[in-house]
Amino acid sequence: MTYPRLVWKNLLRHPLRTVFTTLSIALSIFLVCAVLTLPGALDAIIERSASNLRITVHHKAGLSYWLPYAYVHKLRSVPGVTAVNHYSWFGGVYDEPKNMFPNFAMDPETVGQVWAEYGFDPVALERFRKIRNAALVGEQTMRKFHFRIGQQVTLRSSVYPVDLTFQIVGVIPRPDSPLFWFNRQYLEEAMERYGGMRMVGWVWLRVARPEDAERVMRTVVDLFRNSEAEVAAETEKSFFASFFSSMQGILRVVLIVGFLVVGAVVLIAANTAAMGVRERVPEIAVLKSLGFQRRPILLTLMAESALVALLGGLLGAAAAYGILGALAAAGKTGAMPFLGPLASFRMSPGVAAQGVSIALAVGLVAGIVPAWNGARLNVVEALRRLF
Amino acid sequence: MIEVRDVSRFYRRGVDVVHALEHVSLHIPGGRFMALMGPSGSGKSTLLNLLAGLDRPDTGEVVVAGQALSVLDEDGLAAWRARHVGLVFQFYNLIPVLSAVENVELPLLLTGLPRAERRRRAEIALAAVGLATRQRHRPQQLSGGEQQRVAIARAVVTDPDLLVADEPTGDLDARSAVEILTLLRELNRAFAKTVVMVTHDPRAERFVDAVVHLDKGVLVNGTGGAP
Amino acid sequence: MPIPLAYNLRNIVVRRWTTAFTMGGVAMVVAATMLLAALVGGLQGMLASTGEPDNLIVLRKGATSDGASVVPREAAQALRALTGVARAPDGTPLASPEMLNQPFLHTEAGTRENVLVRGVEPVAFTVHRAVRVVEGRMFRPKLGEVVIGRGALRRYAPGGLGSALAFGRRRWTVVGVFDSGGTAFDSEIWADLTDVLDDTRREGFVSGVRLRVAPGTDGRALARRIESDGRFTLEAKPEVDYYREQAETANALYILVLTLGIAMAVGATFGALNTMYAAVAARTAEIGTLRALGFSRGAVLASFLTESCLLAAGGLLVGAALAGLAVLAINTLLSGVQFSMMTFSVATVFLRLSPGGAALGLLFATGVGVLGGLAPAWRAARLRVVDALHRA
Repeated sequence: MTYPRLVWKNLLRHPLRTVFTTLSIALSIFLVCAVLTLPGALDAIIERSASNLRITVHHKAGLSYWLPYAYVHKLRSVPGVTAVNHYSWFGGVYDEPKNMFPNFAMDPETVGQVWAEYGFDPVALERFRKIRNAALVGEQTMRKFHFRIGQQVTLRSSVYPVDLTFQIVGVIPRPDSPLFWFNRQYLEEAMERYGGMRMVGWVWLRVARPEDAERVMRTVVDLFRNSEAEVAAETEKSFFASFFSSMQGILRVVLIVGFLVVGAVVLIAANTAAMGVRERVPEIAVLKSLGFQRRPILLTLMAESALVALLGGLLGAAAAYGILGALAAAGKTGAMPFLGPLASFRMSPGVAAQGVSIALAVGLVAGIVPAWNGARLNVVEALRRLF
Repeated sequence: MIEVRDVSRFYRRGVDVVHALEHVSLHIPGGRFMALMGPSGSGKSTLLNLLAGLDRPDTGEVVVAGQALSVLDEDGLAAWRARHVGLVFQFYNLIPVLSAVENVELPLLLTGLPRAERRRRAEIALAAVGLATRQRHRPQQLSGGEQQRVAIARAVVTDPDLLVADEPTGDLDARSAVEILTLLRELNRAFAKTVVMVTHDPRAERFVDAVVHLDKGVLVNGTGGAP
Repeated sequence: MPIPLAYNLRNIVVRRWTTAFTMGGVAMVVAATMLLAALVGGLQGMLASTGEPDNLIVLRKGATSDGASVVPREAAQALRALTGVARAPDGTPLASPEMLNQPFLHTEAGTRENVLVRGVEPVAFTVHRAVRVVEGRMFRPKLGEVVIGRGALRRYAPGGLGSALAFGRRRWTVVGVFDSGGTAFDSEIWADLTDVLDDTRREGFVSGVRLRVAPGTDGRALARRIESDGRFTLEAKPEVDYYREQAETANALYILVLTLGIAMAVGATFGALNTMYAAVAARTAEIGTLRALGFSRGAVLASFLTESCLLAAGGLLVGAALAGLAVLAINTLLSGVQFSMMTFSVATVFLRLSPGGAALGLLFATGVGVLGGLAPAWRAARLRVVDALHRA
């Protein structure tokens, strides 16, 4: 017979009630975890795929303003730049516009250097360089459309007046990459009869060390100042982050909802705690009469509330982790088009920890007022109530 | 060993003021088995609460075994009760979620004793009241008389100087009532514990050393209660 | 004979904190559901209202939206001459070639966003009937003047008329504000088509064309004719259909709202169950007394079920009020919610409390009230009178 045992036994007093409260908290923490995953998922994507060693150079006015292709050559000779590649949006549709994945015309020669850390299969890179209509496809798109290496894929461009057929020669080895890369030359040749292609969407630069980035970016901006197309340069991280910044509004609403969920949890937990204390007034009176002081009684009562909340939190976080993980594995999450480039909602252990902490905090907060009242019970009043 | 000096206690009930006790003085020698009797509302429970350190008088002093209770704050009173007083009530004595032996162990949590020792003492106390075989039973599984015996075991497990009982037989049938009263007297005789009991039960007079009568908050006639 | 309602009401009032907490839990569920539904409602409302019933939108075949489409100038010219296209009294065909651009624009707060700039000719204001210049005036050609939609005004040009905007390769001046009746255009900046073509160096192309169908002409037949023209690869559909497709993304969101709401409602139901079971346990003696007095089991059941529903109803009212406040706050203080759809541009969506959201809230509150009260009420009804009284 110890304090912890007393706490445990008290929870078993009304098993149904304890179960209901635990489940209700679990459910709410499940939701909270799902909600918390969203901003985290965005950050995680940036962390996972964005590098400090890659810089984007785009037109200062916006991504819909393209740069003269000649810039690519000029950028090669900027000191500190180890490799250069570029993107031009093809806007190709495979089956339905709804299912469009991002596809870009780019340079097959320097893929291995500019995206060195991705770990491309050298054979795939070789074929990408050699075969005119080769394509490298990100794992997410491969999964979604059940593409196989060697498969022929036709994309109908919504930007250029051409449809092109490609041969998939390899994957971009990132599980949440939806990208589709092909050789710009192939597109240039197709566009010859329409007057050719002189522009490029934006340019990628690779630097040797993160410290070089700052200097290189400044050099690049200066290089094209006062020219026909002024540029802006930023690291890949900053570039991705700005895409997601347009989601701030939604995030805010979702977070408000999350806040409401937590509020509901607190209320439910507090109610249960208060009920428990109210019913146990006679027992608390007995304990006090036996000589238990306020503090142990307070701590015991709060421990009950905290324990239930903690159990609920662990259950909810575990469920969220499991379910979201399963969904991510099945490639189902992130299938909502309004999220654009977001690939998968993978819940991090960090979010699980946050969820459990919230649950614990809820248990303590919800328990404190009834516990306080219970501990400060006037023994005589309480005893009198028995008769 | 118990001195009650000119003690008064009153309560507010809405707009009325109830004088539960008025200028009561009493002396209870150590080792005595005393009954407080009187009609309902006479203040006997109030007096008992004061003796046990559960309540404070509005005027006057209570001194138990040399300890003046008025100098103790709430935590101090709690600590004092834990060491010096054993309590038995009429209802709701036991914690329903704990077994008999766990209930008896409860007050020992407040001492610094190690776990095994606590369990040992609880078992001894239960054996002393004849319930060694019912240790693991929950209160719901025990009869009224058995529950009260467990409560008594709990009351003595810390070896207090004073045993206080508020209507211990109030909820029991005749046979159980007699068992409880017998048990209390045995504890009183065998271990020289001072026992003060509030009761309605006329049978109690047979078991006790002295009876004090209260009516409307005032001592009426004491037998053997004079200093 | 039913147990008087006063009995339930009195109990609710007396058990103040329990009531407050349980109602609070329901309120949160309702508020969250209605808030999310308002977001979806705002989005749907905006998209649904955009689109004139007798307009066609012509884009490149396969384009996901008019921001991602490229149509050659010759095609646009050809469309103007089509029979079936309505004409203004002076004979001008009501065909509006439009160029969409998404330049960066820096907000007051210093963040960089993509804003939707639509390069149009004056005929656009006739083709898009809902769009009206309400402040200032229409822009004049080739002067870098723009008119800005109400929704975009607050965000990008809080200074109002005369403000200078820096986007693209040059600076522009706000000379007017237009209102499009809450449609998607409210978040856009409209400029002279030539200026925009110039700025984006995209001579020879536009994004798409909006056509008014001549009265008496079958719009769908006209659309099919456009699509079957072998010279160009175009697709044409009624504006209403186009915007409905765009709104499909919002429908996906509704699933999210529903899931969230159900999960929360289940959680609140557990809370209600706890409350009602405790109420029954505490009032066992009363129930015994009521039954002894002659009230039937059914009356007891109905009474507790009613009490549970009363709690839920209270929660519903509080929750709806909360949601209303939140919507008001978000719309006025935060000037709406930035929503980026499939095009990378940003639309400002104002939350709109919808009957759908209120219905959902009602559904959940009712669910909580009934499910949370049924089992405990059943238990109360099945108490044996003798036992109940004995426990008093």
